[in-house]
Amino acid sequence: MTLLKHEIKMNLKTLLIWAFSVGILCAGCILLFESLEESMRGMADAYSDMGAFSAALGMDQLNVSTLKGFYGTEVALMFAIGGAMFAAMTGAAMLSKEEEGHTCEFLVTLPLGRRSIFWWKYVGMVVLVILFHFITVLFILAGFAGIGEILEGKTLALYHGVQLVMQLEVGSVCFLISAISKRRQIGVSLGLAMLLYVADLLCRVIPDIENLKYITPYYFSNGADIFAKGQIETGMVGIGLTVILISVLAAAAVYGKRDLAA
Amino acid sequence: MISAIEISGLTKSYGRRRGVKDIFLKVPKGEIFGFLGPNGAGKSTTIRSILGLLHFEQGEIKVLGMDSVKQQKEILSRVGYMPSEAMFYPSMKVRDVIRFAADVRRCDCQEEAGKICELLEVDTGKKIEELSLGNRKKVSIVCAMQHKPELLILDEPTSGLDPLMQEAFFHLIMDYKGQGTTCFLSSHVLSEVKRYCQNAAIIREGEIIRVDTVDNLSKSNLRKIRIWEKGRERNFSYTGNMKELIRQLNETEFSDVLIEEPGLDELFMHYYSDGKEGGAK
Repeated sequence: MTLLKHEIKMNLKTLLIWAFSVGILCAGCILLFESLEESMRGMADAYSDMGAFSAALGMDQLNVSTLKGFYGTEVALMFAIGGAMFAAMTGAAMLSKEEEGHTCEFLVTLPLGRRSIFWWKYVGMVVLVILFHFITVLFILAGFAGIGEILEGKTLALYHGVQLVMQLEVGSVCFLISAISKRRQIGVSLGLAMLLYVADLLCRVIPDIENLKYITPYYFSNGADIFAKGQIETGMVGIGLTVILISVLAAAAVYGKRDLAA
Repeated sequence: MISAIEISGLTKSYGRRRGVKDIFLKVPKGEIFGFLGPNGAGKSTTIRSILGLLHFEQGEIKVLGMDSVKQQKEILSRVGYMPSEAMFYPSMKVRDVIRFAADVRRCDCQEEAGKICELLEVDTGKKIEELSLGNRKKVSIVCAMQHKPELLILDEPTSGLDPLMQEAFFHLIMDYKGQGTTCFLSSHVLSEVKRYCQNAAIIREGEIIRVDTVDNLSKSNLRKIRIWEKGRERNFSYTGNMKELIRQLNETEFSDVLIEEPGLDELFMHYYSDGKEGGAK
């Protein structure tokens, strides 16, 4: 528990910067919706009839001139990418920052045990992602309160539930990278978060690479799909949870076998 | 003799790189034990193996009667370790680092930490990133000692400390020794080993080449020989049978000879350079 508190304290500044930035961005967009509603109404038909572009962004399923459509396509996109980038950065730094900063020797010679350090670090990453989610959702709810309108609670909860799974999947894969690497792989982790997003866009418009949907967590957590259908693909979420499990176990195996760096 | 540390057949390599080979070592409880060797000899590998931080290929290490691999956590709770390079989280304040180390150990170490901080003049309000190497070393000393460990493992503890602080540090060490703490002191500074240690081991190229009392190590039969023959001066060192030395000298046509005991520094340089005994070089 001491290590968990320590991790949260060490990451608090970054957490607040990211959560406030993404939260304010999302809330700002929601508050802008009222003023954009009229102009969006005129553009909605055009947006939904742009072929691959519409399919990639989910505009063929939702009407962007409604709050649900606007949230599911525009706000959800910012929230998903911002959240995945935060999770990727946090996961990628968790273990490797100790070796990069040469603080590993101090930490591992305290009576914690390597296994305990590993699991508390992972729990730290999960807690930070949850806190990020919690803070940004507060901003989003404030945005809804600002315009005096809110989306259906069940779908909203469903969407943010799978968003959390998506962020944890990206964070866990980057946590594995952190267990392998001696340096903070921030560039690799941010690149991975963006690459998975691009994979989601592409697999929606190119039938030949449709199977990418099993790899990218953006697919099962896509806002347009969830707000249009009002449900999630549980099988795909199951794949996401399996990737989380495999990543963490692989990271534990790698970290457990590593010697303290010279 | 009860051992605080008992190493049997420790072998550790880093792929093709040499680590340590077949090390046997016993550190008696309650004393300050010196561990000497040149850079890259295997001192840190041995220390990290003792602390259970490395996976070694062969051997067994008992620390305070416990297995270093299976009971690592228990060992670490009773050991204080000071690494040669004291690194902490740069954005944290000194007092937070000290409190974090104490919290992990689940002990109220405030009194002891306060005492050590006062003695070493540690400014606990400063951030780690503002500290010099010497001041980071002081923080490391506080973290290693605040929980009153039964065994202190110190890897080149005085590097970076000014002479006054070195004195204060050894005052602390002697104080802990008086309370029954064992101290395993890895050092390059021979004078401090001679002054504070009863026994010492010398490691070279991954192997222990000698373990003895510091007095015996200093009383080696190594001799520095200077002879003047045919107007030329020749210097060499000799270890082994003195009669044989006399016999060898008799065979030369020297005009004068000087046979000296080497100083401690020279003696250890001799161990570091070849570690073999017997014969002239």
